[in-house]
Amino acid sequence: MSYRERMQRLELLLGEAVINLEQLKELVFHGLPGDGSARPLVWRLLLNYLPASREEWGPFLAKKRTNYGNFVADLLQPCCAAEEAADAAEEADHPLNPNPDSRWQQFFRDNEVLLQIDKDVRRLLPEIAFFQSATKYPCEQIVSGAMARLHERVGYVSLQAGSIVKRGIGLITKTSTGTSSSSSDGGCRPNNKGGESHWEVVERILFVYAKLNPGQSYVQGMNEIMGPLYYVLATDADEEWARWAEADTFYIFTHLMGEVRDFFIRSLDNSTSGIRRMMEILMRRVGGRDTQVARLLAQQEIHPQYYAFRWITLLLSQEFPLPDVLRIWDSLLADRKRFDFLVDLCCAMIIHVRGELLSGDFATNMKLLQNYPPIDVRDILALASTFSEKGVVAE
Amino acid sequence: MAKKTYDLLFKLLLIGDSGVGKTCILFRFSDDAFNTTFISTIGIDFKIKTIELKGKKIKLQIWDTAGQERFHTITTSYYRGAMGIMLVYDITNSKSFENIAKWLRNIDEHANEDVEKMILGNKCDMDENRQVPKDRGEVIAREHGIKFMETSAKNNINIERAFEELAEAILNKTPSGRPDPSELPDRIRAVNPSPGDRPGVISRCC
Ligand SMILES: Nc1nc2c(ncn2[C@@H]2O[C@H](COP(=O)(O)OP(=O)(O)OP(=O)(O)O)[C@@H](O)[C@H]2O)c(=O)[nH]1
Ligand SMILES: [Mg+2]
Repeated sequence: MSYRERMQRLELLLGEAVINLEQLKELVFHGLPGDGSARPLVWRLLLNYLPASREEWGPFLAKKRTNYGNFVADLLQPCCAAEEAADAAEEADHPLNPNPDSRWQQFFRDNEVLLQIDKDVRRLLPEIAFFQSATKYPCEQIVSGAMARLHERVGYVSLQAGSIVKRGIGLITKTSTGTSSSSSDGGCRPNNKGGESHWEVVERILFVYAKLNPGQSYVQGMNEIMGPLYYVLATDADEEWARWAEADTFYIFTHLMGEVRDFFIRSLDNSTSGIRRMMEILMRRVGGRDTQVARLLAQQEIHPQYYAFRWITLLLSQEFPLPDVLRIWDSLLADRKRFDFLVDLCCAMIIHVRGELLSGDFATNMKLLQNYPPIDVRDILALASTFSEKGVVAE
Repeated sequence: MAKKTYDLLFKLLLIGDSGVGKTCILFRFSDDAFNTTFISTIGIDFKIKTIELKGKKIKLQIWDTAGQERFHTITTSYYRGAMGIMLVYDITNSKSFENIAKWLRNIDEHANEDVEKMILGNKCDMDENRQVPKDRGEVIAREHGIKFMETSAKNNINIERAFEELAEAILNKTPSGRPDPSELPDRIRAVNPSPGDRPGVISRCC
């Protein structure tokens, strides 16, 4: 099928009253229109957020978006708000309460998570200016001052509770409040003048996610998964969709994490869905497709943990420039056996540079795989597709 | 394979809480630059730098690990092959200092007994935000018989010196009947967490 044919079919497909997800996957696997205009909608569908039936979209989205608004209102309210403080007084709760169930203790635990998120969102995709720029659709309660900014909250604890509570403080430097000109915040200025930067929005989504998933909470790298999702939804040319980027990203992120969360859970490293198992499958596929390279990697003891750990955990979001990552994710998300194609793609990346690998020593090969060279990603996508067409080599 | 251009190969490891500046320290040492916008390290990173000490060319193979707890299963498997470990905390973050004890326990558990250690209190350029007085660092280092230094990757304070002193300590321990460099494996001897994931063991299935 030619590119034009595919794009025409895609347009037809997306225009139908009930969208056929299987057909959509088949088309999108080979890429989306170059301008990316279809991507926000397609990703919402592929990640099983939007229902297939267009009729349901209106009420469905309204409900979801209201729910998200409620999460924000409930979960971001610091416990020192007036009402909570009154409750706390009744229960004789106070910042020095050693009871681990104390709301104050919870507050300090949350702030540790928040602090990690804060460090990471400020460092998100620094090669593009987007996350540092202001969003057109900031959170109203924040802009109106009804709710404190999350990063101010971690700053607040360090300054206020620092002198009275021993645990859960000492994590914060004043620089994270944005008042100092130190560079420890990655040169990232919060947008304090009646607006919000995109990274502040991402910080909020991650914090809500961490609060709603306390078992897993926040793990570094989740920010890198969030980055492309939020970028795609927030840069939607259609304002009616773009204005809901925050809430919708929360849901598609939650769905995506539902499928890859095991990579982020340490206790599952050795389970069948865990990261180690994925790396094993990768090495077996490399072995099945290129014995010479596989033997060399084994000889030089270049373990997959050194490079493929990051490739797989972050769905390759760190290895290529953003436009290439988006193209790669079209295929990853459209994969029928979701994330099996990811392994084929990693395998293709290794075999694509086999010439360099075979003539390199340990150090050069490590560098090569940890800093993958600039390439035309269509080459590795094509190579990986030939693998998946041939079927899975014996595992 | 290329001819060896060095006399000795030392494998070093950087550990410490997330955000203390491990990646910046390594970048300052290897590329003599400071970059405020490093993304957090996921898993493990790797750099090489050759230095000269006492007339010997020493190739340092330095591994930069991720600080967050989640990555410890991945990162502790590298401790075993390390000849030197730099344990970094952030002087503006007392929690990262309190965790030094935890990192030392990790070393005891996973590293070679004779591994050379060094504690670094990083970000000493931010004195106005200091939460850990210098003498607290000195005390804990003395208690454990470890070298200690305050550093700044940003202002390039003590970075080179730290790596050189660590390398020198390893060099001093290296027996005079040194192995011929050509016999040194050009890689680390990382001990695998489990034999199952050795890529060398490609199962001969079907
Ligand atoms: N002022 C100052 N800031 C520093 C210094 N070293 C690092 N930083 C800042 O600290 C932050 C974290 O530095 P990284 O090197 O990424 O920290 P890390 O220890 O590698 O963190 P993980 O990879 O998450 O384990 C960055 O924003 C740096 O700009 C320093 O010497 N002085
Ligand atoms: Mg790092």
